[in-house]
Amino acid sequence: MLIFTILLDGIAYGMVLFLISVGLTVTMGLMRVVNLAHGSFAMLGGYLSSVMIRNYGVPFIWSTLAAALVCGLIGGLAELTIYRPLYRKGDLAQVLLTFGMIFVSIAAMTLLFGPTPVAESMPKWLEGQIDLGFRTYPAYRLFLIGVGTLLAIVLYFIIERSLFGARLRAAVDDPGMARALGINVNLLFTLTFIGGCALAGFGGAIGAGILPIEPFYALKYLVLFLVVVVIGGLGSFRGSLAAALAVGILDTAGKYLVPQLGSFLLWFIVFGLLLWRPNGLLPPKSAT
Amino acid sequence: MGKMRATLTALALTFSISHASAEVIKIGMIANFSGPFAVWGQQFRQSMEAFQKVNGKSIDGNEVQLIFRDNGGADPAKARQLAEELILREKINFLTGFDLTPSALAVADLITEAKMPTVIFNAATSVITRKSPYFVRTSQTVQQYVEPLPEWAVKEAGIKTSYTLVSDYAPGHDAEEIFVKKFEQAGGKMLGKDRIPLNVTDFAPYVERAAATGTASIYIFIPAGAPSISLVREFAKRGLKAKGVKLLAGGETQEVYLPSIGDDVIGTISSLHYTETNTNPENIALRKTLVEMFGPDATPDIGTVGAWDGMRLIYDGIKQFGPKITGDQFMGFVKGRKWNSPRGPIMIDPEERDIIQQIYMRRVEKRDGKLVNIDFFTTGMIKDPWKVANPNAK
Repeated sequence: MLIFTILLDGIAYGMVLFLISVGLTVTMGLMRVVNLAHGSFAMLGGYLSSVMIRNYGVPFIWSTLAAALVCGLIGGLAELTIYRPLYRKGDLAQVLLTFGMIFVSIAAMTLLFGPTPVAESMPKWLEGQIDLGFRTYPAYRLFLIGVGTLLAIVLYFIIERSLFGARLRAAVDDPGMARALGINVNLLFTLTFIGGCALAGFGGAIGAGILPIEPFYALKYLVLFLVVVVIGGLGSFRGSLAAALAVGILDTAGKYLVPQLGSFLLWFIVFGLLLWRPNGLLPPKSAT
Repeated sequence: MGKMRATLTALALTFSISHASAEVIKIGMIANFSGPFAVWGQQFRQSMEAFQKVNGKSIDGNEVQLIFRDNGGADPAKARQLAEELILREKINFLTGFDLTPSALAVADLITEAKMPTVIFNAATSVITRKSPYFVRTSQTVQQYVEPLPEWAVKEAGIKTSYTLVSDYAPGHDAEEIFVKKFEQAGGKMLGKDRIPLNVTDFAPYVERAAATGTASIYIFIPAGAPSISLVREFAKRGLKAKGVKLLAGGETQEVYLPSIGDDVIGTISSLHYTETNTNPENIALRKTLVEMFGPDATPDIGTVGAWDGMRLIYDGIKQFGPKITGDQFMGFVKGRKWNSPRGPIMIDPEERDIIQQIYMRRVEKRDGKLVNIDFFTTGMIKDPWKVANPNAK
């Protein structure tokens, strides 16, 4: 009973982290760009979806998909104009620029939407509870688990089973060799970046019930997203899923069973996992 | 040509004369306009500008200027530096603002040295006003508005058990202390106390822990904004309301945050010193002006009334002593002063320079399609309980 509650809560929380972080892990692993502004795309997705729902009456699901699309397009534009010149500039330049972009996005959202979190915009069918036999459970969290699982399966087929995915993994493992084999790594970069930003926007929009959308979103949850990426292993899709679920479940279990540990708990988990697997839970071949 | 020059000279003379006789009174305001606490800066500023729209931008021909400075996050050192700049370079007559306690504490020595009258618009830790004789507070203290809630819960609502979930920082500890003390004094039984770290984003485990004890009520104290919204949503979405568990709150269910929580919040009970729907003429004027100036979504909160009453105090002081009012004159003037705030009758404690006010018990309801708080019980005038219990602590 207790263990099921912890598992459900942990998995739902982990799924939100997964949805937002998976794009970051792929772009960071593939492009070696430390894109700290990733959370800004998630935040943008949340704002877009909320505006569509409240001002234009777009249904929830469509609004999250549209938000993902717009975030992907903006991400693609940003890749061509802002990120591409950064690829050869080294970590420090990337960190400084993308961190600056976070502040720009925070200021822009404060100006456009004000500093208060946006209004709740979940549809009625996600508001109630569902009877699971041993207990009732919030429909919204079950929905998150369902969507996260579905997306993980789709991504599994794209990344692990398709030609595009094979090229992507090749480029992550050894970009030089991938280029030598005639893979258009530049195009791959742009497409992956679009995909990563779209996922972030989708995750931000759909996870808004757990991580409320507000201007400081981009910075506030950045550490969480980076933790998932680092624990999972840079560039590893399966790693980010495992890491997000591990963080979600362990953090939830810890809060439930030993709340006295307070804010240290998450860092104990990160510390322990990294001691055990310094390159992440499931690192890509290039890292091992 | 000559005639025109004469006219211009006369005109210039008129201007310089009228300019020389009128003073400029400068009110400096330090709060967060950016970063995670930016909502405070916005509310203070809108309130001060709305106050000036209603009461004029000048007093007896003397212009009142507002000068805003961004604290840019929980940064006490910066607050001190900004205060120095406002006092030395801008030559302000009044210092105001201070959303967070550490920033207010950081300027205490400075304002004592400069004899700078300083009006606190929010920072709610009890001890602040004892740190300098030039502090006066027009907002609230945490224990002041929490105190009536537990007693009401036990005696009026028949709630026999409770569980506290508070943020793990000083105001949260203050709230937990007074809630537990008063709840047990009234004959209630505490089933647990959890402190939630400030960096927590998913509150499900805490709500589950509390619910698992079979408690009849959960008391929460958590910074208003994204964290409080997540926590209240979690309570609501788990169907605890349907099971008869009462949620007891304070600033978390202010009207400005209700749309972000959704209809599940209906029925939540809170105690606070300001109810946004009250029908005091001052409150109606305040709300009307906010909407006229800042659009239909502009909603007052405790920061708004704190700033509004601070402005009222300063304006009344200037009216009595003129534009050259000194810090000591103003501090003498505020002691024991009573007036009608948008929240209701308030007064400044003559000994402590802290606010004495009524506390309102409110319930979230839906009126005309809008989620609002409705008063159902008003206490007498309440002095900060911490100061009563600790008469000599500094």
